[in-house]
Amino acid sequence: MSGESTNKDKVISKRIDRFFTGLESAYLFVKRFFKEVWFPPYEFKEVIRQCYQIGYNSLPLISLTGFIVGVVFTNQSRPSLAEFGATSWLPALISIAVIRAMGPLVTALIAAGKVGSSIGAEIGSMKVTEQIDAMEVSATNPFKFLVVSRVLASTFMIPILVLYTDFVALLGAFVNVHANEMTSLSTFFVQVFDALSFLDITSSLVKSVVFGFTIGIVGCYKGYNSTKGTEGVGKAANSAVVMAMFLIFIEELLSLQVTNFFRQQ
Amino acid sequence: MRNDNKKSVTVGIFVLIGIIILVTGILTLGAQQKAFVKSIRVFAVFDDVGGLQTGNNVWFSGVKIGTVKKINFYGDSQVEIEMNIEASAKDYIKKNSKATISSDGLIGNKIIVIYGGTGQGPSVEEGDRLTAVMPLDTDNMMETLQVNNKNLVSITEDLKVLTEKIANGEGIVGAVLTDSMLVKDFKLMMSNLQQTAVNSTRMTSELAAFSRGLNQKGGLIDDLVNDTIIFESLRTTIQGLEATGEEVNSAAESFKEVSENLNQTDNAVGMLLNDEEFATYLKSTMVNLDTGTVRLNETLEAMRYHWLFRGAFRKRDKAQDKTE
Repeated sequence: MSGESTNKDKVISKRIDRFFTGLESAYLFVKRFFKEVWFPPYEFKEVIRQCYQIGYNSLPLISLTGFIVGVVFTNQSRPSLAEFGATSWLPALISIAVIRAMGPLVTALIAAGKVGSSIGAEIGSMKVTEQIDAMEVSATNPFKFLVVSRVLASTFMIPILVLYTDFVALLGAFVNVHANEMTSLSTFFVQVFDALSFLDITSSLVKSVVFGFTIGIVGCYKGYNSTKGTEGVGKAANSAVVMAMFLIFIEELLSLQVTNFFRQQ
Repeated sequence: MRNDNKKSVTVGIFVLIGIIILVTGILTLGAQQKAFVKSIRVFAVFDDVGGLQTGNNVWFSGVKIGTVKKINFYGDSQVEIEMNIEASAKDYIKKNSKATISSDGLIGNKIIVIYGGTGQGPSVEEGDRLTAVMPLDTDNMMETLQVNNKNLVSITEDLKVLTEKIANGEGIVGAVLTDSMLVKDFKLMMSNLQQTAVNSTRMTSELAAFSRGLNQKGGLIDDLVNDTIIFESLRTTIQGLEATGEEVNSAAESFKEVSENLNQTDNAVGMLLNDEEFATYLKSTMVNLDTGTVRLNETLEAMRYHWLFRGAFRKRDKAQDKTE
């Protein structure tokens, strides 16, 4: 009987229907976020706590990753430039690569792995243990407390983390360049900023905000809609990371097109 | 509660440091891009900007003084470049300065280079238009290069023909390289040349020694050249010789006259030399004289023994014996 009704409800196919249903659900979730974010009560303390968790606690991992990225990318780029006798262009090349693409992307991917999974698992476990229901019963808006605070914290903290990553990656690049080309710190940073424009920094920051929002909202959505007990928690954490990373790459591609549009103006 | 405060402070510091990094970056970038520096707008119109973009640098005397602000089409197919130039640099850029498009390295970014301008001229001002000088066109360079390539091909073809001829032993060079006899002759010639050179050297040294001898003090040539007394003596001698010559000349004239007279028969000697009849007559006279002389000798010999003269001859013989 129930199978009959399922077959009757089917519009295209079960899988495609589920995709569109999920899309609608995600749309409504994002819509609810933008609806809730402007109105009190504001959960400042929770936002600060999440900022601490997402931002400050991620700093060591992000810094280490950024430094390694700077050193490795410089080292890998050197042979190609050395063929042209243009190793003096390394600072310019690295600054463009790090500020425009690698800084935001590496930070977002690391944060998606660390923060996205954490948010998904945390909210998912609260969902399956009915803590969210309990919050509703105790007259606390769980969406505002759990989702809005985390998404805001993620949206604010990822750009800050990107700035740290850029700085540390450039330091790593400088260490490598100084060790090989004996370039001074001032020369290195003059060349770094000479290759950049305001558009590079603006696009990097805007992109980071979008990445942060994506990581937060995907983690919260997956956790908030997790089902099937403890198994669902793991699934929510996993799918939060996968979906966030996938969306980050899509957004990176789109941001590149938008930036190029502004660059040509 | 205290823990919450600690987290708040930590997040605040964390965000503050992030913002400091951002602001420092923006300020540094602004300083690099001369974004916060008072600037003036200057224009230049080019036929072709060769890929110049907004934001590219403007250089003057190798120093970055601004950036390209806008690139707009102008007229039929020209391009107008709007440049932002630091106000502090405008005193050094004259109105008659020129602008051209270059690059900041072999494969670097395009830049605008401002150059020239007379020292006493007025400085550039807001909205001025600089004279644009078109940079070297790569296509033109390639066309010239293509002509060079064609010439090179032609030269190499000629060279190929030449080398083939040489390899086949044609021509002088080919013969020199391939004919062993010629090589031997050449070697011989070189050997002779070498010998000649040795001889020449020796001769030169001998000549040098000879000339040294000539120049030696007290030598004949040196005396001739340098001794004024000898010169005077020589002059006198030559004058004497000249006088003698004149006298000889005069004598020769006389002798000629005499010899001419001798050829004539109107004088005694001429007759003697030239008249055959007279010669015959003279010859017979001489014969008669000879005969007469013989007869006279005989007569005289006879007189010696004549009693009248015999005593006188004996006295003479005795006196002759005494003296011996």
